Amino acid sequence: MARFIIFRLIQTFIALIGIITLVFFLVRASGDPTVLLRNPNMTKEAVVALQQKLGLDKSYWVQYQIYMTDLAKGDLGQSLVRMRPVKDMIGESLPNTLRLGIPSFFIGMVLAVFLGVLAATRRDTIFDNGVKFLAVLGQALPGFWVAIMAMLIFCVYWRLLPVGGIGGPAHYVLPVGTMIFFLLPGMMRLVRSGMLDVLDSEYVKLARIKGLPERTVIWKHALRNALITPLTVTGVVFAGLIGGNIITENIFNWPGMGRMILEATFARDFTVVQSMTLIIAIMVLLMNLLVDITYAFVDPQIRYQTT
Amino acid sequence: MTILPDVITKSAPKYTGLSRWARLNRNLTLIIPATVLTLLVLTAIFAPLLAPFDPTTGKLTERRLPPAFMEGGSNKHLLGTDNLGRDILSRLIYGGRVSLSVSLLVIAITAIIGTMLGIAAGYLGGRIEGFIMRVTDIAMAFPGLLLAMLLAVSVGPGYWTVIFVLSIFGWAGYARLVRGEALRVRESDFVAQARVNGASTLRIMLKHIFPNILNSLIVIMTLMVGAMILAESTLSYLGIGIPAPTPSWGAMVADGRNDLDRAWWISTFAGIAIGLVVLSGNFLGDWIRDKMDPRLRQL
Repeated sequence: MARFIIFRLIQTFIALIGIITLVFFLVRASGDPTVLLRNPNMTKEAVVALQQKLGLDKSYWVQYQIYMTDLAKGDLGQSLVRMRPVKDMIGESLPNTLRLGIPSFFIGMVLAVFLGVLAATRRDTIFDNGVKFLAVLGQALPGFWVAIMAMLIFCVYWRLLPVGGIGGPAHYVLPVGTMIFFLLPGMMRLVRSGMLDVLDSEYVKLARIKGLPERTVIWKHALRNALITPLTVTGVVFAGLIGGNIITENIFNWPGMGRMILEATFARDFTVVQSMTLIIAIMVLLMNLLVDITYAFVDPQIRYQTT
Repeated sequence: MTILPDVITKSAPKYTGLSRWARLNRNLTLIIPATVLTLLVLTAIFAPLLAPFDPTTGKLTERRLPPAFMEGGSNKHLLGTDNLGRDILSRLIYGGRVSLSVSLLVIAITAIIGTMLGIAAGYLGGRIEGFIMRVTDIAMAFPGLLLAMLLAVSVGPGYWTVIFVLSIFGWAGYARLVRGEALRVRESDFVAQARVNGASTLRIMLKHIFPNILNSLIVIMTLMVGAMILAESTLSYLGIGIPAPTPSWGAMVADGRNDLDRAWWISTFAGIAIGLVVLSGNFLGDWIRDKMDPRLRQL
């Protein structure tokens, strides 16, 4: 097991370096950020001075070396547009994103498991059909549109909830709801179909023959095995949730990383984009690592394959 | 199965044939989506003939006119006008062109790449398989929207950028499915026979493996129509899809966001169009799956 984890850690690290390098050169292909920063009255010398100040006058390769050395020291650099350390900007926006993301992820997952199991055990009843209908609808309607419609109803017509920004509990309702919308339908379907497979298996029948209470059979024996398939796609779901986060934060003006990264991309704020993608990449890779390790615990075949 | 007492089988639903309602229901899940999609294809082809107005030019004097069924609306603009005075119905009709052509092109590209990689991985096995599947895993777990943003800004937004962005990760799903199918077909007798007869690897992959995975492939391609239209509209909504003033449904939803309090119809109709088409695509995909390849059914 230890060997497996070390092997995966090294693999993760290599992937991280790859992503950092890719993003570094990709943002630079987008053009010179000083074009957006300079004002029309600036002389040629002033533009060159600005480029020098931002360190953009050197060749890409030299810039890359400087960036990687700084990164190794833990220095993320300065925002090209806001002229302040990226570290501070992340220090402000990351907690906001987590404040939105963590509750959404957990509420969404718990709801998906709960509804999925209930639908599977009540197969073909009104409840099951309702859940199926919700899942089908949820996978067809665009999340950004649903969020805007919710805004129209709750903020414009009924004036119950704030339109955007961060604040008291009322500010969380619509953003968290939108995030859950991105996660719930797919997960619910997977839990339901996994559960239906397991309910048909011999060990569930055996558990019933043993006379165990139905609740124990379903929530303990069956659920544990039914969760294996959803577990394997958690990495993919998490990646989707990051996309959902970018959309949600921009709709509701949530001062988190999702909004900042879209702004920075349009402004060609290289250092901010690089640092944000770095953090997102670390989160995604760690999540996948976690999923892999959990999966290896559950399924011994995988544990021995890679070592 | 039969060894077990009937206490256990009691819970299994009895098959009593389909009721009249179920039969009608089954047909409706084909008829309605097929009609919606046919309409979409026809309006996309004949957009210049059908659209009452030019979708990109608006009259500033006719801004935010409500749809015909509301007070103050007129039959001239059936679904009202947007914040630049452009006719929403015309923009919806032309927007369908963008959504449809983008999704079909992306599906063609990703299906070809994914199928080739999937067959290679499944049939050849070994190191090649390990490498392809590892890359597939990475492509699936990468937040695609993030890369889409970077690419849209670095290459510049545009029709082909959208195609490229959606294709660069889209192949992974096909590769994974096709590999599974190829693994299954590889073990069959006719493949062994072809190998004994001295058929080349390429010939086996093309003539023996590929025709046998075609059904699953068609099912997945149909199911992807909706997903791709959704993805395209998301890019356009964020301003990194098809650039203005070309009408696209996602951008129309974004256009109306700041006018929610005075012109709800700008965002609403575009979103309904997306939802309707995606829903139809998914239903049609489900129907084709049940007919062609029920094994793929997720219960």
